[in-house]
Amino acid sequence: MSRLTKKSPSVCTDEPLENPDLCQRFDCLRQLLRSCFGPSGRLKHIRNNIGGHVITTSTSSVLLSAASSSQPAVRLLTTSILNHVSRFSDCGLFAAVLCLSLVDQAARRQSGLRRDVAIRVNKHLLRMCTDYLQREDCGCKVRLDFCSSRSLITLARSVISSKPGCVLTELEAVHISKLAVQAFVLTVPCDSPGTVRLGRTVTVSVEGQPVLDSAVFSGLLLDVPDASSLGNVENLQSNPLQMVLLGVSLSGDLSDLGDGTLEVHRGADADSQVLDQLLELGKQVVKDEVKLFVCQKVIHPVLQQYLRQHGVVVVERVGAALMEPLSQLTGAQPVATLQTTIPAKAYGQVKDLTIRQFGSKTMLHLHPAGEPVICTMILCHRNETMLNELKVACQKTEHVLRLTLREPSALLGGGCTETHLAAYIRNKSVHEAPEAAKVLGCSQSQYLLGLEAFCRSLESVAAALQHSGGSSLIDLTHGHHWTLHSDTAEIQREDALGSCGCGLVESGPHVKWTHLNTKYSDFSPAPLSKNAAVYPRVLDSFTAKINALQVAVETANLVLDIRYIIQDVN
Amino acid sequence: MCRTEQSRYRFIPCGRIKFILQEKCLWTRSCFSEPRQPRGRQAEVTNKARGVMFGSAVVNQRQHVGLQELSALAGATRSCLGPSKNYKFIQDETSGESTLVCSCFRLLENLDLSCAVGQLVNETVQSHQKVYRSGSGSLLFLAGAWSRAALECLQRGISIAHIISAMSEGMDICLDVCRKYSVATSALCASPSENCSATCQVLERELLKKPAGRALQVSSLTRETPEVSHKTRNTSGRQRVKLTHSRHFYEAKSEKVSTVPRPHSQDSKDVDITHIAGAVSHGCDDSMSLVVEASRLQTENGEQDFSRCTFDITKVVTCILPGLPEERACVLPGCVVLLSAEQASVALHVKDQRLKVALINGDLSETYRHLGFNRPAGVRQVTSMSGLGSLSKEEEWLESVLTSLLKLSVNLILVSGVACEKLIQRCYTHHILVVEKVRASILRAFADATGAVPVTYATQLSKHCVGSGVQAAVWRDLSSQEKKSSVAVNISTNNNTGLVTVILTSCIHGKLQALEDQFWACAYRLHHALKDKALLPGAGEIEMLCVHHLKKRAQHHVKPSRESGEQANAGRAASPYRHVVLHLMADGFIDYISTVMVNTGRCTKVKAWTALSQQLQNSNAASNFSTKALLESETQGGTMSPDMKSNETAAGKVYDNFNVKVELWRKALDLVFLVLQTDAEIITGVDHKTVGTQSANLMLL
Repeated sequence: MSRLTKKSPSVCTDEPLENPDLCQRFDCLRQLLRSCFGPSGRLKHIRNNIGGHVITTSTSSVLLSAASSSQPAVRLLTTSILNHVSRFSDCGLFAAVLCLSLVDQAARRQSGLRRDVAIRVNKHLLRMCTDYLQREDCGCKVRLDFCSSRSLITLARSVISSKPGCVLTELEAVHISKLAVQAFVLTVPCDSPGTVRLGRTVTVSVEGQPVLDSAVFSGLLLDVPDASSLGNVENLQSNPLQMVLLGVSLSGDLSDLGDGTLEVHRGADADSQVLDQLLELGKQVVKDEVKLFVCQKVIHPVLQQYLRQHGVVVVERVGAALMEPLSQLTGAQPVATLQTTIPAKAYGQVKDLTIRQFGSKTMLHLHPAGEPVICTMILCHRNETMLNELKVACQKTEHVLRLTLREPSALLGGGCTETHLAAYIRNKSVHEAPEAAKVLGCSQSQYLLGLEAFCRSLESVAAALQHSGGSSLIDLTHGHHWTLHSDTAEIQREDALGSCGCGLVESGPHVKWTHLNTKYSDFSPAPLSKNAAVYPRVLDSFTAKINALQVAVETANLVLDIRYIIQDVN
Repeated sequence: MCRTEQSRYRFIPCGRIKFILQEKCLWTRSCFSEPRQPRGRQAEVTNKARGVMFGSAVVNQRQHVGLQELSALAGATRSCLGPSKNYKFIQDETSGESTLVCSCFRLLENLDLSCAVGQLVNETVQSHQKVYRSGSGSLLFLAGAWSRAALECLQRGISIAHIISAMSEGMDICLDVCRKYSVATSALCASPSENCSATCQVLERELLKKPAGRALQVSSLTRETPEVSHKTRNTSGRQRVKLTHSRHFYEAKSEKVSTVPRPHSQDSKDVDITHIAGAVSHGCDDSMSLVVEASRLQTENGEQDFSRCTFDITKVVTCILPGLPEERACVLPGCVVLLSAEQASVALHVKDQRLKVALINGDLSETYRHLGFNRPAGVRQVTSMSGLGSLSKEEEWLESVLTSLLKLSVNLILVSGVACEKLIQRCYTHHILVVEKVRASILRAFADATGAVPVTYATQLSKHCVGSGVQAAVWRDLSSQEKKSSVAVNISTNNNTGLVTVILTSCIHGKLQALEDQFWACAYRLHHALKDKALLPGAGEIEMLCVHHLKKRAQHHVKPSRESGEQANAGRAASPYRHVVLHLMADGFIDYISTVMVNTGRCTKVKAWTALSQQLQNSNAASNFSTKALLESETQGGTMSPDMKSNETAAGKVYDNFNVKVELWRKALDLVFLVLQTDAEIITGVDHKTVGTQSANLMLL
């Protein structure tokens, strides 16, 4: 007998931001993400409740996709950040922290700021920020110089060193950054007319080797578990070598039956029929003088044996991820069916084959016959946890470097962009407060409150870079961000500060500072004199950051705009 | 309610060190059982200073919880350090099963580690063990010692960034020390009596002028008599008289003597395995003598030139025979497998024959398909009436396989998986020997030696896939020892493969695992020594050198930071703490050495610390510090030598593997860094309805 359970009615929450539970959750998420931010951020162990594999990370993409919430408003926020990260890779934590700060500032009841006003002011200020950042004379923007690799390496290093979970020394971080730039350069084709198609970097991770053993190779490296089966690969005569790429399983099974049934007569042997067909393929391939036979999936051992006997190098189970780079590298068209003979134009070419050894891994190196736009990055690290984090960091770096092709600029890192922007809009808005308030339809004091909340949020992102109890300062000339360690006395401040977050401004007797959370009289942040000798130490991706800024403000506005949450609890 | 569930594992105290991890499990579960919670952020738990028993330590919620967990976990494996290990029982209270373990990685393997740090530790230790097969105890111990150092730093208000940069610098110092004081294996062999007494050195000098004939005499003088040294080196030789008197043993010795007149020979070919093996035996003389024997057999069979001593670890097989006394352990050329009495009779039948061999990758049965073959779901057999009288599919297969085997006149089939029982029976009647569960590397060795090609299906077999020249001989009938009668059969090739079987025996079944682990640890130590071509002075010496250099650098750093304190330099900002961190890191090493000393049973903890600090004082007092002094004082003192039998094996000096040690240090420090930088734990996928009882340090997302 079945029992009927009564459906419970949907739950509607009115004014969710007034709800202390939701505020607490937002607060919790804010603290969690703030503590991960920046090069000295703290890591998090993630595991499920039954004690499965532990992930140790501070990367927003890993963190947010693992830590899902049951609360719709929180989920809205995390989804929107994840969406940004999937498109731009970098600045996920920046967006999240800024968004949560904006929500926090506006949701505070005692601030006296109406939420609808906050939304309008945020929108207005966002436009002001993006307009400023797009301007040629923007004080926190740096043009990237493709004539030298220095700025690209700086950009790469900023991304890599912002992941403390990689546990890299200074030397190792530089090495990896150089490799990332090298890999990026290899994927840009030199002289192809018309639409430029970028190549790809394939990352292979090797556990247990020192980081400095990491390397970049042009061409592809395929994992071959059983090196003894390769034979004398390096003595293959013809050049270039003919190769074929198969996208279907050659295991000899009848797995593509679907839902239908197959009736087999007792005497008939379906397996051997399929095998005969496979061997037909083998014969054709041998006849066509193919020297390298690569299959995405499993190859029947009998076919393997046949091919090897005829001097063909066989590589099986390369996986779906490598299929596209393989066809890009060799020019081969992946063969998707066994029913017809392989057309001649489906064959590809490689220049050479060599065997390389990395720790316990043996790899077959496919050298490109034409221009090398595919490269392989071998990443080595001492343990799996750090290796995973390093792999994510390198993939982000690759993406960030690619973004520079669209917009060859970068923003100053180390919190300097945030403080500079805050100083700029404070100064600009105060002057045009009356007009702006009129346009936005609010009182001037409300406008100034909204402005204060926005600037505080920006500054709090810069302050989030500091994790060991130090304080954050801003200088009153350029509006750059400085950190003061908790153990330094006020008197020595000038010596202890050294240089600002991005490394462009040096400390000196003429520089005046104030603490970030104090009120300071507004000033117009002066752009730095163009001094070629001083170069920023930390750079952020321009495209990623400007999008992160937009995502953060728009998501915050959306969250602030929530009036009801209706939940189906069944 | 949860109590019985939680306290499933506990240590039964045995030996000197007692640990009860029961409370730890309780605490871990009670703290982590709530969902989706970041935990343990210092700021949030200040009001909740809950002290919980954690082994012998108290977990203080005000301090870094992860580091305390790491330290407590390391404390549990304290007794696994050093050459004399204590066995531990791990008892599962729900099933009543218990396991006997004596090494760190086996201990971790058998524990139910539910906390995140435990998981991380286990992953690190197992991955180290997989590659190096030794040093897992040291890894965890140092991780624990350095996590305590990091805790101390945090308590003194040093920021995490400073701790990490200073500790990385400390590690760089240690690695430099390792590089500087490493000893090339060739140097070790070329002057084997370097560490002998003064008289020995005088004789050595004499040697340089004398012809080789004289040298033989002298060297046997320095090393007692050859017979004595055999006995000590080759402990199992007591039982295996045959091997002690091996002709090759003498030849190897004379070779070693002939290298004496060329003490500076850097030729790696001159590497003397006996000597290196003695240096890295670490008190496991019995196991190491088996390793040396294995290497000797490989060399003997493979090449006639003895200067090219080899040790190929991929061709070493272990065969475990329970029920025999431990002294019966021995090494045999070829591959020894245990077969049923019935199978062995085939072996008896084919002995003294040159067998033809077929190698099968996977199972040898009709239903077996290669990896990646998917059996279609919707296939139905349709039988026509004519099919009734014919043979079944399996019969057909058996027939075809047998026909092809007979046609190719195969006498021996080595299968990496299992073989179908019916086929084994059929083969038996045709005097074909089927050996199952052969390791892949052994298959490859046979493939190399006989020219056979491993195939997946028996139907693939053709003339060129079959190798020849294999012999099978019954080595020993074990039917008297065991209920299930079995016979050890030795399969070998006459043109040598270098394949060697080590027979490990013990009367106590529970000890076999530990014995096998010990053997492989020794084998891999020798393997890595030969691979690295360099060794580190062992018995705590390299650690003491690191301590010395760390402390020296620590003192070095205090001065410049005071003098140039006025200079504005961002890099300098970290220096005020550097000396503290380096000192604490050095103390971790001292803790390590003293624990090894205590574990060897030579002295108490206090005495060990006193002796060590005395040594450091001495070396510091000397205006120009020479490491020689430190090294000598250590070896003379004798307290450092973990080799309990060092008096017996006069060859003396203990060495450690270079890469194993360096890697384990780095891994230990990496572990500390990861845990140190972590401030919260996120637990996912818990039903939010169960979160009724929230504790103060848990938050809901």
